[in-house]
Amino acid sequence: MLPDVTVTRRILDGVGITASVEEVAILGVVCRVSAEQARTALRAFRDSDLAFTFMVDLFGVDTGEAIDVVYHLRSLARDEELFVKAEHAYDSALTSVWKVFPAAHFPERECAELFGLKLADHPNPQRLLTTDGVPPLLRKSVRLRGPEEVRNR
Amino acid sequence: MSDPREIGRPSGSLAAPDGILPAGTYEPEVLPAGLTRAPVGVNALATEHLIVNMGPQHPSTHGVLRVLIELDGEEVKAGEASVGYLHRGIEKLAESRRYSAVGTLMDRGDYISGIHNEMAFALAAEKLIDVEAPRRANWLRSLMAEINRIASHLVWYGPMGLDTGAMGPFLYAMRDREVLLDILEDVTGQRMMFNYVRPGGVLADITPAAEKKIRVFLETFDQYLDEHIEILAGNEIFQARMRGIGVIDRERAVGFALTGANLRASGLSFDVRKDRPYAAYSELDFSIPVAQEGDCFARFMVRMEEMRQSVRMIRQCIDGLPEGEFTAKVPKVLRPPAGEAYGAVESPRGELGVHLISDGSDTPYRMRYRPPALYALQVGESLLPGVLLADAVVILGSTDIVLGEIDR
Amino acid sequence: MSIVQVVVPRVLAALGLMLLNGVVLIYMLRKVLGHLHLRLGPMENGWHGIAQTTFDVLKLLTKEDPTPKAVDKALYFIAPAIVFVPSLMAYAALPFSNSVRIVNLELGLLFTFAVLSLVPLGILAAGWSSNNKWSLLGGMRAVGSQISYEVPMLLAALPVVMMAGSMNLGDIVRAQQPLWFIYNVPAFILFFVAGLIESGQTPFDLAEADSELVSGFATEYASMKFGLLFLSEFSNTFIFAALTVTLFLGGWGIPFVPEAIMQPIAPLVFMIKTYLVIYLLMVIRGTLPRVRVDQLLTLGWKFLLPVSIAWVMITGLVIKLGQTVFGGAQ
Repeated sequence: MLPDVTVTRRILDGVGITASVEEVAILGVVCRVSAEQARTALRAFRDSDLAFTFMVDLFGVDTGEAIDVVYHLRSLARDEELFVKAEHAYDSALTSVWKVFPAAHFPERECAELFGLKLADHPNPQRLLTTDGVPPLLRKSVRLRGPEEVRNR
Repeated sequence: MSDPREIGRPSGSLAAPDGILPAGTYEPEVLPAGLTRAPVGVNALATEHLIVNMGPQHPSTHGVLRVLIELDGEEVKAGEASVGYLHRGIEKLAESRRYSAVGTLMDRGDYISGIHNEMAFALAAEKLIDVEAPRRANWLRSLMAEINRIASHLVWYGPMGLDTGAMGPFLYAMRDREVLLDILEDVTGQRMMFNYVRPGGVLADITPAAEKKIRVFLETFDQYLDEHIEILAGNEIFQARMRGIGVIDRERAVGFALTGANLRASGLSFDVRKDRPYAAYSELDFSIPVAQEGDCFARFMVRMEEMRQSVRMIRQCIDGLPEGEFTAKVPKVLRPPAGEAYGAVESPRGELGVHLISDGSDTPYRMRYRPPALYALQVGESLLPGVLLADAVVILGSTDIVLGEIDR
Repeated sequence: MSIVQVVVPRVLAALGLMLLNGVVLIYMLRKVLGHLHLRLGPMENGWHGIAQTTFDVLKLLTKEDPTPKAVDKALYFIAPAIVFVPSLMAYAALPFSNSVRIVNLELGLLFTFAVLSLVPLGILAAGWSSNNKWSLLGGMRAVGSQISYEVPMLLAALPVVMMAGSMNLGDIVRAQQPLWFIYNVPAFILFFVAGLIESGQTPFDLAEADSELVSGFATEYASMKFGLLFLSEFSNTFIFAALTVTLFLGGWGIPFVPEAIMQPIAPLVFMIKTYLVIYLLMVIRGTLPRVRVDQLLTLGWKFLLPVSIAWVMITGLVIKLGQTVFGGAQ
C-alpha cells in the first residue's frame, strides 16, 4: 500500500532532484518538491518501476505562505499511493503536467483559477468554474462574506 | 448568426506570460493516451465549420452543461465542455463550517448519490479523529449506499434511453426509483439530501417499516431489472447506437484517471469496495462486473450488472444486520488533531474521494472533494472529435456525469 | 358556377377530415404514449381529458406569434403552407368506399405520392429560414431521410399496382376482395418501414429528435404556424396509414363479406382500420429508440432499395407465370 521511501528517493535522485520524501501519519508517503521540479518528478514516477501511472487527484492548498499543489498518484499494478507536493509562490506559474497525465487538464484550470496561479504550457488556459472578476476563492486571504456584508455591499 | 463562442465566455485567460516558463522544459509534440488532438478548445480552430452550442439548457445534457461543438455537416470536429454553472463553493464553505455541518454540504455535491458523498467525508474525518464506526453502523452504511447506488443508476438509465430516443424506459426507471426513495425517506427522513452518514456512524437505526419495504423491493426488482435490460439492451436499434461508439481503451482510461464503471468497462477491475474496503464491504459477498470493449454498450451493461450485484448486497445486509450501536460516541463539536487524511468511496460514478486537512480547530482547514465525474467529462470531451452529432449525445450520456459534482 | 359547386364542398370535406383527424390523433397519441409509459395522459379537461385538444387548439390560436428578427421573412411565412397544403391535397384520392371519396383519380396512387414528396421541401424551408443552427440541422436531416425513402416506398407499392392492374386507389381496393394483398408480405414490410420514415415517426423522427435538436425544424415557430406544422405531421401519419390500409389491408372491405352489406358501413370500416394502423405506429413510437442518420440512410440505400427492386421483379415474374399457366387476363 505504501511505496518504499528509499526507492522513491532514489528515483528522484536519478533525475537530479533532491527532495524530501517521508512517511506522514495517516496519509502515507509524501514527497515535497519545488514548483519547477514538479513535472520532471511526476514523469520520473510515472516511468519508473513503481509505475505511478494513475493520477488520482490534483489540487491546491493555501498554507499561508505559499500554495502547495498536491498531486495524488497511484500505482495500479503495485496498489501503492504517493502524494507529491509542489510549493508554488503566490501569483507564480503552474506548469501543466497534462502531457504526463492527461487527467490533469481540467483540475489544473480549476487550481489556477481558484488559487490565483498562472498556467504555463497548458493547451486551454481558461477559467473553469467561475466567471470574470471573481477573485481566487480558495485563498485564505479571500474571505467569505456574511449576509450583512452582502446586504450592505 | 451570432457566434456561440462569444456568448457567456469568460474573457480572462489564465495563461502565464512569457518569461515565467522554466527553461529547458519543452517536449516534442507527442500527444499522450492516444489523443489525436490536443484539448485546445473550440476557440482556437478554423471557422469554416458550423459551431453550435449544446446547453446549458438542453433536453440532453445531464445537468447544466454547455458543450461547444464544431460541426462539419453532421460530423463533430471538436468539442469543448464548459462547466461552472453550478459552482457553489462547497470547498470554500467547508472551511468555515463545523465538521457536523460539512456533511450537509457534501450531500449537495453529487446530489443523486448523497450517501456516498457523506460517507467519503465521514471516512476521512474518522481517520483524523481515529474513531471506527461500530459494526452495525457499517452494515447500515453499506445497505443505504447500495440502495442509493441502484437509485443513481436508474437515474442514469432513464436518460440514457431518452438520449437514444426511447421514451419508455425513463418512466419505468422512475417507477422503480420511487420505491427506493420511499425506503430512504423512511430511514433518513429525506428523499434526496439525506445527511445520514456522520463521522462515527449513522444518524438513526433502520425502522421495521423500512425493512418491510426493502424486502418487498427485493422480491420484485430482479424481474424489473431483467425487463429494463431487455427493453434497451435487447433492442437492435439501441445496440446499433451504442456498440463501437466512444471506445475508451485502457491507455486512455488510465491516463485520464477514470474510475468506476467507466474504468471497469475498459477492462481494468479497480473498485474501491474491493481494493480499499470500507464500511461492511469486506464482509459482503459480491462480484465486480468488468467488460473488455470499452464502448458505450459495455458501460451500459456494466452498470446494469452492478445493479444486480447491489441487489445481492442489499439482501445480505438486510438478512445479516448485526446487533449493536448505530453510532460511536463522538463529541458534537469535532476537533481533530492537525493532520491530513484521504477517504474514498465507490460512488456510482467512480472513486469519490475527500482529502481533509485539519489544523486542530473545529472547522476543516482544507477540504478537497475529488469528483469522479470531472475526469469522466474530460474523457467524454476527448472522444468527441470524429463522431456524429447523435453519437456525441450518447457518449456524454454513457459516462454518467452529474454537474453538481463537477462544479461543486 | 358548377366548378365552384364541385370544388368547394370537396375542399371543405378534406379540410374537415384533416382537422378532425388532427384533434383525435393528438389526443390518441397522448393517451397511448401515456399508458405505455405508466402514466395516464391528459385527465383534467373533460372525461379522461377528451376536451384537451380543443383547449390546446384554442391556446395555440390565442398565443402571441413572435417573429424572430433575423429570419428570412418570406420563406418563414410560407414554409408552414408548403408543409400544410400538400398534406391537404393528399386526402383527395383516398377511397372511403365505392362512392365516397373526394375525387376519383385514375392515377390516384401516383398523385398521392407526388403530392407527399413536396413536404420535405417545406420542412427544409422551415429549417433554413429560421436562421437557427439546430433548425437547419433538423431540416437537412428531414430532407436527407424523406427524399431518400420516397423511392423504396414507391417501389414497394409497385407490386400492389401490378397485382391490381391499376393505379386508381378505388380499383386497388376492389381488387383485394375477398383476400387482402397482405400476403405480399415483403412489400408490406418495405412499405411500412419506408412510410414510418416518410411520416417522421420514431424510430426515425430525426427531423425533430427532441433529445438532440430541441424541436428540430420547428424550434422557431410559435402559435398557429407551429400548429400548422404539427397538424400536417399528424395528417401525414394518417395519410400513410390510410395508404397502408388501401394498398395492403383491403381498404374498406372485410374478407368474405359481400359488397352489398359492406357499402353503407365502408367508410367506418376504413377509418377503423386506419386508426388501428395508427395505434400500431404509436406503440412503436413509444417503445423504440431512434436510429442515427447515417444508419438510416444506409438502411434505405443499401438495403431497402435493392430489396424493393428485387421484389418488384419477383412479383412481376410470378404474375406473368400465373397468367401463362392459368390463362386469361388478370
